[in-house]
Amino acid sequence: MGKFVGKAVKRREDARFLKGAGTYTDDIKLPKMAHTAFVRSPYAHANVLSIDIEEAKNEPGVIAIYTGNDACGEFGVPCGWQVDFKNGETMREPAHPLLTKDKIRHVGEAVAIVVAETLEQARDAAEMVMVDYEELLAVTDPKQAMEAGAPLVHDQWEDNAAFDWCIGNDRAEVEAALESAHHVTEMEYRNHRVAPNAIEPRSYIADYDVNADKWTLYTSTQNPHLIRLLLCAFVLGIPEHKVRVVSKDVGGGFGSKIYHYTEEALLTWISREIGRPVKWTSDRSEAFMTDAHGRDHVVKSKMGFDKDGKIVAHLTDEYCAMGAYLSTFAPAVPTYLHGTLFQGVYTTPLIHLNVIAPFTHTVVVDAYRGAGRPEATYLLERIISKAAKEMGMDPAEIRFKNFIPPFDGVEEAGYQTQVALQYDSGDYHGVLERGLEMLGYEDFRKEQAKAREYGKLLGVGFSSYIEGCGIAPSAVVGALGARAGLYEVGHVRVQPTGKVSVFTGAHSHGQGHETVFAQFVADKLGIEMDDVEIEHGDTDQVAFGMGTYGSRSLAVGGSAIIKSIDKILEKGAKIAAHKLEAAEEDLEYAEGKWTVKGTDKSISFGDVSLTAYVPHDYPEGLEPGLDFSSFYDPSNFTYPFGTHIAVVEVDSDTGKVDVKRFIACDDVGNVMNPMIVDGQIHGGVVQGIGQALLEEVVFDEAGQMINASYMDYAMPRADDIPMIETDRTVTPCPHNPLGVKGAGEAGCIGSTPAVVNAVVDALAHLGVTDIQMPVTPQRVWKAMQN
Amino acid sequence: MQVKGNYMVNTTPNVVWDMITNPAVLEKITPGIKTLTVTGPDQYDAISEVKVGPVKGNFEGTLSLKDQVNLESCVLVVDQKSKMGNVVAEISMKLIPDGNDNTEVQYTGDAKMSGMLARMGQRIMSGVVSTLSRQFFQSLNKELEGEPSTE
Repeated sequence: MGKFVGKAVKRREDARFLKGAGTYTDDIKLPKMAHTAFVRSPYAHANVLSIDIEEAKNEPGVIAIYTGNDACGEFGVPCGWQVDFKNGETMREPAHPLLTKDKIRHVGEAVAIVVAETLEQARDAAEMVMVDYEELLAVTDPKQAMEAGAPLVHDQWEDNAAFDWCIGNDRAEVEAALESAHHVTEMEYRNHRVAPNAIEPRSYIADYDVNADKWTLYTSTQNPHLIRLLLCAFVLGIPEHKVRVVSKDVGGGFGSKIYHYTEEALLTWISREIGRPVKWTSDRSEAFMTDAHGRDHVVKSKMGFDKDGKIVAHLTDEYCAMGAYLSTFAPAVPTYLHGTLFQGVYTTPLIHLNVIAPFTHTVVVDAYRGAGRPEATYLLERIISKAAKEMGMDPAEIRFKNFIPPFDGVEEAGYQTQVALQYDSGDYHGVLERGLEMLGYEDFRKEQAKAREYGKLLGVGFSSYIEGCGIAPSAVVGALGARAGLYEVGHVRVQPTGKVSVFTGAHSHGQGHETVFAQFVADKLGIEMDDVEIEHGDTDQVAFGMGTYGSRSLAVGGSAIIKSIDKILEKGAKIAAHKLEAAEEDLEYAEGKWTVKGTDKSISFGDVSLTAYVPHDYPEGLEPGLDFSSFYDPSNFTYPFGTHIAVVEVDSDTGKVDVKRFIACDDVGNVMNPMIVDGQIHGGVVQGIGQALLEEVVFDEAGQMINASYMDYAMPRADDIPMIETDRTVTPCPHNPLGVKGAGEAGCIGSTPAVVNAVVDALAHLGVTDIQMPVTPQRVWKAMQN
Repeated sequence: MQVKGNYMVNTTPNVVWDMITNPAVLEKITPGIKTLTVTGPDQYDAISEVKVGPVKGNFEGTLSLKDQVNLESCVLVVDQKSKMGNVVAEISMKLIPDGNDNTEVQYTGDAKMSGMLARMGQRIMSGVVSTLSRQFFQSLNKELEGEPSTE
């Protein structure tokens, strides 16, 4: 498109990040700021018999102590998505109080908060708060939570189901097709729970200004406007126009900072109670206990094939944990962000998915990088690879056989799936072909056979993923139960001197919006990137916004900015025509100036903007100024896709898996900045390998997370990851102006099944057909012995 | 968390039995114990201060012995609360004479922890528990050296 788009422009934000000069919420220190410490339950399920704060109150520095009897907002934080039972019963939605009064439902649930002059004083006093609990039996496994007699998380309902939902074709029809299928492959496994682990833990400062009667909430979040809306309208009932939410630099979120957390609302309330700014920053231990976790599906699946290896039907039943309450997006994750991707990249004619979503005595489960799509991809890509082995087919061949043929979404129509969505454009053959070429597939199989002779266990695993990003048309998500619209706001303010300030409702938590957005804005206006500033993360600056998640920032947020730029160029042309004494239709805009076609008469963007603000010689009836804001509501999701290939070597003595190569050939539509897309893929792949090999939240039978520290929770490290080989094909999105699809989650969606497929391939000759994630040395070794 | 171990004590099972059922001795040899109050036969209220590696804190709660088979075995029941979390454990102990006036104490059981103690992870906690058990039996041996045999 121009000078900057498509180039690996270095990230502007790194100038401050690499110097340690970013401004994260915890870096902010306000005058007279008080500090807080929570008293949290050591039990997963308990009755609170009594809370004694008398001794703690007299500790040095204590300003106030609040318990569930003080805190306002009986209902607490709301859920943003309603998924009803398939029989029509309404989703069961419990109150999620800011501080619990009587019943504990997960370890780490807050029963009291101590506000003190210093953090140390707050923590010391919190230790003096005496809580008497009566411990009760807990259930943490989503399937066990639905067994008869399981301890109830919310005893106003007869069982633990939040909802029981299904999608796709008629179940009986799918079952019949499986009955008559030539071959049926079955799988039963757990897509286990992981913790999000953003480098910057959650942090909030609430500052009530008594003279102005206004609040400022500084928060480490992915969507400041949504937090303000939920906080004001649903939790505290305070006027939205009197609250400013500021989110400066955010050090990672992976989904966990989308949601409105109880602590944010509680601090906002406390700040007015004590008339001072008040801060809370989670420590790592609290993060493990209270940040929304991801995944946790118990899966049972069947896929039927004809004699040629074509899929004829797919039936899956899942139990997907919600945790103790319903987090902001939780019900959408195992349903509309999961079941709607069960078509995958295949022509499967019959699909049925049933999801039972139980409450469990654990912290809430919500979107975690990929949100529902990694779980869908894991299932499809594992089961099709397993089927290939069972039917004696090559894993690449079975995929080629079942791929949806290429379609561009312009000449050829989008692909209508069996599970509600219509794919925009795709060429699934292309990415696998390129992936195989990068791998050198034939040579690899020879090397593998040879290595086996020497006792070396090599394996290769494929994953052909598709995902749904840029969510989505508001009317569609509304019909699917979203209680918000999912458009985006882009506001472009051309200053009198021709410098451009862009305000976006998307909010970077590490992605590099300040760079990428400036690239396409500069190109579209034909000006320098240095003349473009991207502003985000402040509700007083940005009109509105839905934030950053679901790889939507560029596809939706970028498109909103383009809409405003179009309005600016349209108005600018009127001013230029007036100044050049020409007709508007005789002008063309390129390289930052309007030119009368076929002449050397032109006027620059800067001169037009100055004229707009100093309108002495100006078109009659035209408003001064050059400043436009737009709301963009996309017409569809976007559907990035790709092929990920992992090559692993398994140590035959210890069972340790070493990822030797990782190939990612992705199609994310048009690419604005290849370096940033590579970075997003790298990060996602590492998280996907992390889930496949290392990470897992483990609870004991009492509901205690027994690996809630970095001594025991195995995060991937540099030496667990090979050089990641990336390449791309480009199938532009046909329905947004930039032709982009989204790259934030792709790495995490495609990689996990590729790694596990590779491990199973390495062990295939020993009769291993499946292995539970995370594929630890212990599990591999056991599988090899059986 | 599984708790398991054994320790050689330089005396006969009867002496060991007398010692571990004697509150005055227990108060001396239990690591970190501050007060031990008898509330019934083999039932105690205990307040202790434990400092092992990352585990530092005051514990308060009950200790008791049950299923006593005289001179042979018993089950130690621990129910202790602290700011770092709570511990509930049942540990069976067996006294096995080696024929040379020594006793091998074998112990095995299950400890349930909550709060910070649970989150700290089993690898660390099992280390802490084995350190505390070793200290207990070392003190028992020391106590023996200081006192004349009752036989």
